[in-house]
Amino acid sequence: MSAKRMLVFVVIIGSIVLSACSGGAASAPTTAPVATEAVAEQPTEAAEELVPVDESGLPEVDPGALTGDIYTAGSSTVGPLTEAVIEQFIMEGFSGQIKNDIIGSGAGFERFCVSGETDVANASRAIKTSEVDSCAQLTPARTPVEFRVGTDAIAVVVSKDNTFATDITLEELAMLFTTAEKWSDVRADWPAEPIQRFTPGTDSGTFDFFVEVVIQKPQKLEKLEDAKALVLSATNLQTSEDDNVLVQGVEGSPYAIGYFGFAYYQEQAANLHALSIDGVAPSGETAESGDYVLARPLFIYSDAEIMKAKPQVAAFINYYLTYVNDLIGEVGYFPASAEALNQAKQAWLDAMQ
Amino acid sequence: MQIAKNPLLNKLRKKPRIGENLIQAVLLICGIISVLTTIGIVFELGKESLLFFKMPGVTLKGFLTGTSWQPAIGEFGILPLLTSTLITTFFAMLIALPLGLGAAIFLSEYASPKARKTLKPALEVLAGIPTVVYGYFALTVMTPFLRLLFGSDTVQIYNMLSAGLVMGIMILPLVSSMSEDALHAVPRSLREAAFGLGATHFETAVKVVVPAALSGIIAAFIIGISRAVGETMIVAIAAGSGSAFTFNPFKAAETMTGYIARISGGDVAYDTPEYNSIFAIGMFLFLITLTLNLVSRRIAARFREVYE
Repeated sequence: MSAKRMLVFVVIIGSIVLSACSGGAASAPTTAPVATEAVAEQPTEAAEELVPVDESGLPEVDPGALTGDIYTAGSSTVGPLTEAVIEQFIMEGFSGQIKNDIIGSGAGFERFCVSGETDVANASRAIKTSEVDSCAQLTPARTPVEFRVGTDAIAVVVSKDNTFATDITLEELAMLFTTAEKWSDVRADWPAEPIQRFTPGTDSGTFDFFVEVVIQKPQKLEKLEDAKALVLSATNLQTSEDDNVLVQGVEGSPYAIGYFGFAYYQEQAANLHALSIDGVAPSGETAESGDYVLARPLFIYSDAEIMKAKPQVAAFINYYLTYVNDLIGEVGYFPASAEALNQAKQAWLDAMQ
Repeated sequence: MQIAKNPLLNKLRKKPRIGENLIQAVLLICGIISVLTTIGIVFELGKESLLFFKMPGVTLKGFLTGTSWQPAIGEFGILPLLTSTLITTFFAMLIALPLGLGAAIFLSEYASPKARKTLKPALEVLAGIPTVVYGYFALTVMTPFLRLLFGSDTVQIYNMLSAGLVMGIMILPLVSSMSEDALHAVPRSLREAAFGLGATHFETAVKVVVPAALSGIIAAFIIGISRAVGETMIVAIAAGSGSAFTFNPFKAAETMTGYIARISGGDVAYDTPEYNSIFAIGMFLFLITLTLNLVSRRIAARFREVYE
């Protein structure tokens, strides 16, 4: 009894010390709840829906028969979805090791294409040519295979205390995150208070996507870097890879504005208000139809050689594509269109030939 | 030569003591390891920050005098990070110095053994709290309190004042325990002489004991400052995560350590300006704390009053 207690005590102290030492400790406790929440709700569902979706011709997966390790890393948006799939995968008997690092899309490709550590890259944007090139330079060379797994919408949010902004145009949104200093600079009848801006980290897919859609395309800038420069030179800008830092910041003031994945918005919907853009509110329908301008595809990437060499990776991706639509709602994203998902399944079959 | 052949003296000669030598060797290795680690860290910092200064658009002058820090778009002025580090440190010291010294004087001059017995462990508990806990204390207790006091339109949710004040609470035990050691080391005869001359308890403490222990107290202050400059977790959580060149403590502004923590937290690709810049900042921080520590040693040595 006392030995057991001692052990628990040591573990607790150890984890406290560890978290105090690690630089990224701030993000660790905040990202965890997402994953556990997703976990808690699956078991019942998983038990009921064991019937494989087989029209696509994907072979059936038995997680219990697989061993070995799987290492995924990347987008903080796709991460929780991958985590949910992993939980169910383990639930159904997979006994190997799976690691899922949430580090941002760019860093995820870094680990997939430069250091070559990972088997799967999670990404909230399509892979760049430069990243494909560095994948090709690895020994053995990797050829990224893309699997579409869902759709995410970026919610532009203000605090519930913000009573003046509800519907804005894309142009106004661009001003809010670049040149405008006070709310009244954007619309004359808004308060003359400084805008407090909260944005995801500069290496996140969310940031890239936002800047591309809101600033680069409408202003017809040639390079994304120029558009980024406009955003990053704005005053009162807070940047964090940890979405909860952003949520807390935006909740903190009626004059704050921020943006992040729709999943995080849903969790915090009681304290935040999502703005409509050009009259379109973010929702499943508007994201799927493309009416909501800040919607984007979610991907996972792997490589045919890895999938052949490590059957557990291939099986995991197969499993991912088969069950992702059962889980994606819980995590807070929207399903990809049937067409896109079938394409992904076809890509899997092609890779395994 | 002849002596060595003398069998009696030979017997008295130093015997090789293996156990003793082994212990000596192990201890030497311990010393060497810490020195090597330091050299390794300095070397790596220097190498990587050289990489940073070699990048196009980066100059030492721009680095030291620029007022905008946004490496992703080629703005490399360290001043915004430096000022927020100094501001949070200032508020930390505003708490830690007077309270720390006060606690030290009380503990060393006034406290009954019983009061000491309760107060000292309490202070040590304060020293044992993980900084991440302090960070969330700043964000969830101190900041709302400040916003209540000054209005939530004035005080931003992430702000330097809150982080600085909580950092002061964290450093308080360090300052008080080091100061108390210094006060304690003042010989009893000095106090007795002061009492003998008719000084009150307070006069004795403030006019005799504290000046006599001044070198130790100043050293404690400087160590406290260098601790505040290097503190990471609290500012990373509570002081904001975007650099801002502002002297308003109610505003959010990222410190040097906060920036390093955020960038090294895994969100930035290797060999980008952001990534390389954290080594240059690390080097800069290292130089600041090294200077402070050297100064504190100098002061301690120079003003040391030797009694008896």
